[in-house]
Amino acid sequence: MTKTEVREYQWIKPDKEKCISCGQCVNFCPRDVLRLGEDGFPYMKYRDDCWYCDVCTYICPKDALHLEEIPYLIK
Amino acid sequence: MKVKTLTADIVILGGGSAGTIAAIKAKEKNPDAKVIIMDKGPIESSGAIGRGMDALNIMASPGYSTPEDVVEALTKVSEGVIDQETAYVLGEKSKDVIKDLEEYTKREPGDLFPTDKDGNYVTNYLHPTDAPLYLAMDGEDIKRGLASRVKKLGVEVLSFTPATKLFTTDGEISGIFGFNIRTGQGYFINTPTVILTAGCVGKFGLPRDGYLSGIYEFPGNTGEGYALAYEAGAEMVNLECFQTNLLMKDYNGPACGYVVYPRGGYGVNAEGNKYWTHGYWSGDMFLAVWKQFQEGKGPIYLKMDHLPQNTINGLEKVLWGTERTTRGKFHLDRSESYHCWDSVEQGLEEITLCSGHSMSGIKVDKDTKTTVPGLFAAGDCASVPHQYLTGAFVFGAIAGQQAVDYAATHKAKPVGVNLEILAEETERPLKLESGLAPSDVEFKLRARISQYLTPPKSDPLMQKMLWWCKRIREQDIPRIKVNDYHDLIKVTEIKSILVCAEMAARASLFRTESRWGLSHFRLSYPARDPKWDRKQVVIKKVGGEMTLEAVEVPAFKWDFPEYLEYEYPKMEFDIGEGYHPPKNDNVDPWLEEKYEREGFEIPRRIVPGGK
Repeated sequence: MTKTEVREYQWIKPDKEKCISCGQCVNFCPRDVLRLGEDGFPYMKYRDDCWYCDVCTYICPKDALHLEEIPYLIK
Repeated sequence: MKVKTLTADIVILGGGSAGTIAAIKAKEKNPDAKVIIMDKGPIESSGAIGRGMDALNIMASPGYSTPEDVVEALTKVSEGVIDQETAYVLGEKSKDVIKDLEEYTKREPGDLFPTDKDGNYVTNYLHPTDAPLYLAMDGEDIKRGLASRVKKLGVEVLSFTPATKLFTTDGEISGIFGFNIRTGQGYFINTPTVILTAGCVGKFGLPRDGYLSGIYEFPGNTGEGYALAYEAGAEMVNLECFQTNLLMKDYNGPACGYVVYPRGGYGVNAEGNKYWTHGYWSGDMFLAVWKQFQEGKGPIYLKMDHLPQNTINGLEKVLWGTERTTRGKFHLDRSESYHCWDSVEQGLEEITLCSGHSMSGIKVDKDTKTTVPGLFAAGDCASVPHQYLTGAFVFGAIAGQQAVDYAATHKAKPVGVNLEILAEETERPLKLESGLAPSDVEFKLRARISQYLTPPKSDPLMQKMLWWCKRIREQDIPRIKVNDYHDLIKVTEIKSILVCAEMAARASLFRTESRWGLSHFRLSYPARDPKWDRKQVVIKKVGGEMTLEAVEVPAFKWDFPEYLEYEYPKMEFDIGEGYHPPKNDNVDPWLEEKYEREGFEIPRRIVPGGK
């Protein structure tokens, strides 16, 4: 089972209609949280290193990435 | 792990605010110098200001305030434990930061920072002095501006490549080692200078909600600057002054007192009453917050609802648009509004160590030199009290210029290291068949830090923390098992946090007084003691041992107040006499007979299915 198939709660989600799999979000995440999955879309490989800083959303050239909510433990 | 060997004139560890400007100033001074930045992430977005920043919290702005005003403010908030000359340099050079940032971001005066009709930069009141020293900023893009300049100047940037070890030869800096946390490529760099700009010990105490990354400081800052400097033999100071900032509770981002207070907001307790005279992040204010909770007057809030509607809207725009931009989402999710007095609940941060907002770190002089030749330090890991982002830029710039001069006259000395063995030792946690998850060990260590070191500080609890440091170092860290290089760096991070915890506990036990309000409120010595005036606790590794010494700060040039106006509370906990139960006979024949008959064996009486 790949990570993308795991139904672990992830608070950063790509809009698959808009995402062009450019990898900007992966390369500019300051905590190295994201990776592109086998389907080409970003997922939170290292979820609990996320600082909910929003850089991924900010950097996305297609406005395709959304931080839906901040981590459950602190929201 | 394959290790690539490089040479450099300057290696900068940490491409945050101080690190990027150090690289820029070094290359501008000597374009031929080979400058390498090692960073845990990409320098465009890493560090404390990756998503922007809303102020330069200390500034001597011509027409408004002077460098002497900066020295006065910092002498007071550090309660006399300061090198005034360094504080003066911070004030004197702070105005240069304005021009640099406007240039790097290509933004006009009046856009990035507010200006008046004469073109002066408008500072506001924040510090416990009569001078306005706070300069607001709309700095959402400054990190990108810095990164762009760094790359344009030909600085080599090793992204996602933090360092794990510093080397000295004959007591001088000679090399640094690290690896890429994505590829596992190792780098050994032979260099005569290293500038440590690796930030604070942001991951230190455990946040109350238990989310390891749910902290105020950037979670990539885990004390490597502190730990590497200490291990290389540098002197460390003020580790007993803990940072415990007043934040937005749970979100653990700035609430932000420094943006709201200068515009008329203030803190109130659960009864709606103002509980302290100012909102500056000094230990007296934290002590006032602590008192509210002891008296049953928490939660506390940041009150803004009395301000003009457009001011409140403007505050929301600034606070939700820079630094921690998910703040707005946090509030909206809780149906909270800045137009309501009890919406922004505040709470004291879990303890951390930091110079920027507090004063602990590597001992440096006004030229950013540490006590190890070739080693320079700036930003949150270098002790310049309450220097904030301004100090990161001022002293980062000085570090770059000083290091490039040093490298011009010092060649890198050879390092006696076997890189194969070094790589093998580094990768050991990857090779274990099974072991402890790094997140579990980090959780346990940081939970102990919170439980045993959080002020008011208790001597027996701090001694117990030292017991835990030894136990975790000897028993837990060797058992950490990781599956990839991303997690391998966490072993170094945990080791760094551990060294810092030991330094913090030992320094706190060494300083036999209380000072800086809550930041060093020690129950065994619950008052300031004049014999500690102008004295620092200096920690240094000598012969493998952690040594401590009280050392006087450099002689003062200015005679400014050296205490903040507050008193430590009288701690009286008389709870009466209690119930005296009738006494049993201490000899229990039933218990003794049982032990004699069974020893320590526990009879197996629970048998599934029965027998």
